[in-house]
Amino acid sequence: MKRNAAGLPLSYRLAVTSRCLAAVLGGYLLASMASVCITLLVPLAQVDAAMTGMMLSFVFYLLAFIWCFACRSARHAWLGVLLPSLLLGLVNGLAYWMKNP
Amino acid sequence: MLSVALIGFAGFAALCLAMEKHFSDLLGRKPAIGQLRSLRMAGWSLLLASLLLSVHLRGWAHGLVEWVAVLMAGVTLWVFTLPYQPRLLLGLAAISLILGPLLVISGG
Amino acid sequence: MKDGFRQAMAWLHTWAGLIFGWLLFAIFLTGTLSYFKEEISHWAQPEVRRHALDPVASLGLAQRYLEANAAHSGNWMIRLPSEREAALSVGWRDPSGGRRGFVSKQLDAQTGQPVEARDSRGGEFFYRFHFQLQMPHPWGRWLATFCAFIMLLGLVTGIITHKKIFKEFFTFRPGKGQRSWLDGHNAIGVLVLPFHLMISYSSLVIFMYMVMPASIMASYGGNTNGYFNDLFGRDDVPKAANVAAPMVPLAGLYAKVQAQVPGARMGYIQVHNPGDRNARVSFAQASADNIAYKRSANWMFDGSTGELLSQGAPESAAMMTSFSFVGLHMGNFAGPWLRWLYFVFGVAGTAVIGTGLVMWLGKRQLKHAKRERMPAELRLVEVLNIASMSGLLLAVAGFFWANRLLPAALQGRADWEVNTFFVVWLLSLAHAVLRPGRRAWGEQLGLGALAFALLPLLNALTTGQGLNHSVAVGDWAMAGLDLTALGTGLFLAWAAGKMLRAPKAAAKRELKVSKASAEVVEVNGC
Repeated sequence: MKRNAAGLPLSYRLAVTSRCLAAVLGGYLLASMASVCITLLVPLAQVDAAMTGMMLSFVFYLLAFIWCFACRSARHAWLGVLLPSLLLGLVNGLAYWMKNP
Repeated sequence: MLSVALIGFAGFAALCLAMEKHFSDLLGRKPAIGQLRSLRMAGWSLLLASLLLSVHLRGWAHGLVEWVAVLMAGVTLWVFTLPYQPRLLLGLAAISLILGPLLVISGG
Repeated sequence: MKDGFRQAMAWLHTWAGLIFGWLLFAIFLTGTLSYFKEEISHWAQPEVRRHALDPVASLGLAQRYLEANAAHSGNWMIRLPSEREAALSVGWRDPSGGRRGFVSKQLDAQTGQPVEARDSRGGEFFYRFHFQLQMPHPWGRWLATFCAFIMLLGLVTGIITHKKIFKEFFTFRPGKGQRSWLDGHNAIGVLVLPFHLMISYSSLVIFMYMVMPASIMASYGGNTNGYFNDLFGRDDVPKAANVAAPMVPLAGLYAKVQAQVPGARMGYIQVHNPGDRNARVSFAQASADNIAYKRSANWMFDGSTGELLSQGAPESAAMMTSFSFVGLHMGNFAGPWLRWLYFVFGVAGTAVIGTGLVMWLGKRQLKHAKRERMPAELRLVEVLNIASMSGLLLAVAGFFWANRLLPAALQGRADWEVNTFFVVWLLSLAHAVLRPGRRAWGEQLGLGALAFALLPLLNALTTGQGLNHSVAVGDWAMAGLDLTALGTGLFLAWAAGKMLRAPKAAAKRELKVSKASAEVVEVNGC
């Protein structure tokens, strides 16, 4: 860990902040998209599908958090949560449109 | 439920002794060939037995919950007492091994 | 931060643990107390007398009271006394009266008359605090739920970080400074892991409809009520017909439910449109009877004819799963010995957090031990550690002392008990700022020891229901709290003693041990 005389470099602090935001906000987006995806695709009654999606969403939030701090850089953190969210979002859009034509 | 706790406690004691470091610390000698393996098998068997007993006594829902609860309590008691009173614990484990099944049999 | 996955997780574990640790300690401590919230309420309102349980008689008393006092209301609620709740609770909707348009009364289960008890929130204060954090709705719940997620994250990152989780499963080495703290932290984390994981995850499930609403929105559109109707299978209660019709005796309806499920305990009874032709009475089975909430354990009767109209629909697997998580968290199904285990495991969870906070600071303090004054950030952590742990314990004691000392006639008495809690907490923060670290710990723990150890005496002197009385009559809830307070006092006294011992000697031992032991604490701070 590189420290200069005054403490940790600003770039480091910004990178950490970026990862935190990616985890908290991006992770939440990912978890929500995963939740909706499960809900719309799982062959259960509407109320059960919603519950299943919600219950499993937290696993995705957890994985997103771990990813954001395990990956190589802050940029990778954001990519790692936003790209899957986009993909799931598309799947969700399609599934929603098919259910409600 | 006490019988479940006792058998589970004995099981964890066996699993602890199945580790060479704990075996030599607690029993003051090096384990003979195969002793660690036997202890490991005995330990897991006792844990399994305590699970089956718990489910048999209390059904799947309550049985599973109470099994996990008493096992956590027992192993925590073991680990935190071990540095202070190892011989007492070994004695308790031995008593549990006998009393546990005894309670099952007598309880009918 | 990037030297490997494990190191990254260690970094995340340490920092998330620190930032949220103070709040999580408070949540866990008050949550742990909540397992005995009925017993705490019983201690806090000793005027409520306990009687032998008689659901049929209690229902009759409740109905008579409500018919006499709440005939105008369109909605009644009855909670029968149980092994843990001595009072017969009744309530009714009244826009002009009570909190949030709802009036609640506690009746004596034998006489049916309102109990003259000191106004106190009792155990309900700790219960509500632990998931609402005394913040305006819904912010407290959001924050508490996010904290629960961080706890889950802490557990998972802790598991990943703990290289020797199996090898050191049975390892605890006291008397070795930082090594012992880590051993202890790891041990109570790993050995009680099923509980910690269950508690954290189930907290998320409890408020999932609020914090993760996307699924509900995506499948129910704007009609979120549709979700809850599907979930709880609510039959719409008809509006009042405005045609008077006498209500059947509730006891008769109770008997009908008992005929279906003999021995079932009732959680609460609701009456809609009492005294009207469209009266409806619903019975819900007590949460103590099952782990998971069962919507099928609900019976709806016509209140004027007594006819059984419907029973709740059977639960799906998804419902059983989520309600099981909720049920496991609440622990309402637990009998006495299991409830005590819940309490012990809750203390364990609190200790995991507490030891983590102490270690975070302790490890970094060692680095600066030679300095005159520690860096400002570390001093901040030290102050927050003291205030959030020993300070919180003092606040809890303060709540109980206020309960016994505040005059019964004081207006807003219940609020003043709560105010005392927060004032003491704030004072402990000020004290932690003004005093050097170890002394602050020692003084607060010492005061806490006195406050808790003397509580049974205070109880005996102010109510006459001290240990000599409660043990003699078999009031184990009352005695239990007194004895637990005594035990807590003894523990805090021991801790205070350790803190007030010569700090130089302790620090020297720390340095020696940490140099000697080959395994330096592997959690890599930044």
